Amino acid sequence: MTTPHAQQASSALPHEPEKATLEGRNKVLGFWLFLGGEAVLFGTLFATFLTLRNQVADGPSASELFSLPITAAATFILLVSSLTSVFAIQAMHRGNRTSLVRWLGLTVLLGLAFLALEIYEFAEYIIHDDYGMTTSAFSSAFYTLVGFHGAHVLFGILWISILIGQLFKKGLTVVTAPKVYVSAMYWHFIDVVWVFIFTVVYLLGKVVG
Amino acid sequence: MTNHDLNDGSAVKHRHRHEGPQKHIIAFVFSIILTLIAFATVAAGGVNIAFTVLLLLVMAVLQVLVQLGYWMHLKDKGHMMPILFMAGGFFVAGLAIIAALYWMWW
Repeated sequence: MTTPHAQQASSALPHEPEKATLEGRNKVLGFWLFLGGEAVLFGTLFATFLTLRNQVADGPSASELFSLPITAAATFILLVSSLTSVFAIQAMHRGNRTSLVRWLGLTVLLGLAFLALEIYEFAEYIIHDDYGMTTSAFSSAFYTLVGFHGAHVLFGILWISILIGQLFKKGLTVVTAPKVYVSAMYWHFIDVVWVFIFTVVYLLGKVVG
Repeated sequence: MTNHDLNDGSAVKHRHRHEGPQKHIIAFVFSIILTLIAFATVAAGGVNIAFTVLLLLVMAVLQVLVQLGYWMHLKDKGHMMPILFMAGGFFVAGLAIIAALYWMWW
């Protein structure tokens, strides 16, 4: 005999609700194709950045500009937010909507913290150092690459926030589960791109700027 | 009664087969360690530049593989097409980087 609690959890939703329907499975597969395309998109931005990284004109070089503590803090925040979105999916697999929404909410808050840090960093360069988009080829490539990643973070924050609203309104079902799963994949991908950004842009900028 | 409860517990466990958080926490700790090695090497400075560059790139690739494998489940069974999509994406991205650098500087 199963306990009433276990029975309720198992009968309400299948084990992996995001893969319970053909539509859900297709959504996940299609999203992988999209992420492959995103990898190419960021690849071209990295290519531009790597090509122009030494063309600093009259502006400061990468090693003079960047501050490691801010980058380290941003990296840590985004890494933790990737873990909280893993926990969100695990809560979803347990069929626990309350816990799912809490982990998603925490992910959104960490995303906002990351974004705030990036806005602070850019504002510091632009206002304090008078270092803008048009200062040099290096600055254009830098703001485009890192800003594009920041725009992805912003999009992820809006997306997950809307999903939280939908989870409250429609509940955790085989229709909403694939949406949550796919948004978590997106969030992990943002963190994967950031690994290359902090390595190639910031750390390599400090070493060979 | 005790026997009953035991059976009960294992039955529930078997039907759900939920993975625990351990694997993901290990992946997280790995990512933190790889990140710390990268930042610490740059912050300390004084290390051979070519070696530092190589070390940073290896740390980044390792971390990306850990996150794609564990957090995005590419390591799991039945992920042939997603691996193909991602590998294709990364291949073209790498090609774009090499092409742009070659085109501009050689």
